[in-house]
Amino acid sequence: MKLHKIAGLYVGLEYSHELMSVRAPKYESKDRPKIIDIVISSSPESIDRVRETAPSLSDSECEYLYVGASFYNCLVEFNGFMLHSSAVVYKGNAYLFSADCGTGKSTHTQLWLKAFGEDAKILNDDKPAIRIMDDGIYAFGTPWSGKHNINEDIKVPIKGICFLHRSDKNEIKRVSAKEVVPEMLKQIQRPTDVARVDKLFENMETVLEKVPVYRLGCNMDVEAAHVAYNGMK
Amino acid sequence: MRVKSGYILREVAGNYIVVAVGEEAVDFNGLITTNETGAFLWEKLSNNISEQELIDAMLQEYEVDEKIAAEDISLFIRKLEDAELLINE
Repeated sequence: MKLHKIAGLYVGLEYSHELMSVRAPKYESKDRPKIIDIVISSSPESIDRVRETAPSLSDSECEYLYVGASFYNCLVEFNGFMLHSSAVVYKGNAYLFSADCGTGKSTHTQLWLKAFGEDAKILNDDKPAIRIMDDGIYAFGTPWSGKHNINEDIKVPIKGICFLHRSDKNEIKRVSAKEVVPEMLKQIQRPTDVARVDKLFENMETVLEKVPVYRLGCNMDVEAAHVAYNGMK
Repeated sequence: MRVKSGYILREVAGNYIVVAVGEEAVDFNGLITTNETGAFLWEKLSNNISEQELIDAMLQEYEVDEKIAAEDISLFIRKLEDAELLINE
């Protein structure tokens, strides 16, 4: 079992396959904490359980997904959750872009890198952790970032959460918390036990009280990044 | 009739949301959104109740014409049946 620090939590991880071995070490910690917040060990059984829902995946991919899903389920108890989104950091703030797979989340945040150059960077390209802390709402990089290993071990305050869809014209508008809940819930990993579902809903409401949410229609022109930033800054 | 166990109704930031929990969540990880009236009917359907009793309950709670209430409830029940969320016992 190796100790990691992920999203500000001490996490003991035990794994045996390649993907975890490549992506987890960045988050290893040499601290000696009194309490380890979360412990996850993968086993052949847990790998098989993932494969039941996704038969085409390798052992390594199943393990990676299993450990990630377990972490995000536990995260709920530490005032957080995972939002399926690409998170970009610019001028000290994080902007999260969420949508169904294939809509163009990563494509859009890549446009930010083009528009703002070295001042912008990707925090996590697919599954950032969100946590409610004493002094605000933060996004964290994690080892689980989708197809590409694009994530940074950093903590950044969230300035806005944006749901994007494709459009010919680049347009952003603020939307109410109430309006966005069903859409947002679709992009959040949801635990299956009642107590954690209730905690997740509570966390979500807190985040929606404190972080503005937007809807962005965007194309693949670099202008889309400027429109999004100007609407959310 | 009543709704299957394993589903919970919650209000989240002004939305009424039904999600599956426990074993049911393995087969159903989607979510159902409904309005205040739907939430009222869902709560009533957590215990065994007949269609007529549902109509009576709605007429007591809301100022609504009986014919319209009956139509709405029939539609709501059909939606739940289509989603395989109701059991008749």
